[in-house]
Amino acid sequence: MEGNIEVLKGAIALVGYGLAAVGPGIGIGIVVGNAITAMARQPEMAGTIRTTMFLGIAFTEALALIGFVLFFIA
Amino acid sequence: MDQLILASECDVVNEVICAPADVKELFEFTHIFFSIGPLEFTRTVILFFLAAFIVVGLLFFGLRKRRMVPTKFGVAIESLLEFVRDGVAKDIIGPDGIKYVPYLTSIFFFILVGNLFEVTPGINFPITSRMAIPAFLAIVTYVIFVVMGFAKNGFRYFFDTVWPKHVPLGLRWLVGIIELVSIFLLRPFTLAVRLFANMVAGHLMLTLLLGSGIIFLTSWSEIGLKALVGLPWYTLGIAIYLFEIVVAVLQAYIFTLLSAVYIQSSVQFEH
Repeated sequence: MEGNIEVLKGAIALVGYGLAAVGPGIGIGIVVGNAITAMARQPEMAGTIRTTMFLGIAFTEALALIGFVLFFIA
Repeated sequence: MDQLILASECDVVNEVICAPADVKELFEFTHIFFSIGPLEFTRTVILFFLAAFIVVGLLFFGLRKRRMVPTKFGVAIESLLEFVRDGVAKDIIGPDGIKYVPYLTSIFFFILVGNLFEVTPGINFPITSRMAIPAFLAIVTYVIFVVMGFAKNGFRYFFDTVWPKHVPLGLRWLVGIIELVSIFLLRPFTLAVRLFANMVAGHLMLTLLLGSGIIFLTSWSEIGLKALVGLPWYTLGIAIYLFEIVVAVLQAYIFTLLSAVYIQSSVQFEH
């Protein structure tokens, strides 16, 4: 019985990480998609846009990372 | 070494993918080679020093002589330096950024070398996948941007963060709390965990896929035709291996970029 509860805890933590990854996944998609649109419209700004895009990705990613850590803690 | 650990626990007859029972190896400093007093030299520590020596060597031999026509190696190192100086420091922080170029260059090169250990044949272990190293680097960045924020703006840096004057009074306390948590707690935390998580994920995937593939393919004599299970694992592992090279470079860049952004946001603190 003890072992089963441990397995269940691990499984729930996995589902929790999966849920935590949904939002950032959508967010990163929006960030990159809009960055590509912007680069296509103004290729001369591509450098600045790329830097800003990485920043946006990095900030959006934070939630998924917190989920990743909670997966190991739980 | 990872593959040896995997092999001892692998049941090729019943399992389809070869997963170790636990992945403590990623988080605990086991297997001490030798120790000097209280300092214990594990594989991570040795690789840590190796990375530091490689960085020093690269910079020393790349920039030792200023030639009219630099060597190919010199050009490569110079272009990386120029990338950090112009692409990160000057672009993000502004003309003041030249002051932070030594720090940004150090962490960029160190993390780059540490990450590329992941895909170096014979080492195959990114030192940045131990939480201690990204955590330490993030703390250094944290100390730099907090100290510079206070040095440039005085205590206004702290008070304007928790009590921002441009926000309507009703929301000001809420924005203040969010800003306080995000700047002083979440920034260093996510900076460290981002690097750590990416490297752990990559290292785990490579270990599982390549280890599985090799173990299945080499136990051909015992399990016969079932050994072909190893072939797709190995192919997928090679594909991810190439992807991890990109991730290693990108994560070094992102860590440096975010350090620069954090420093910029506290040096030019205007609300």
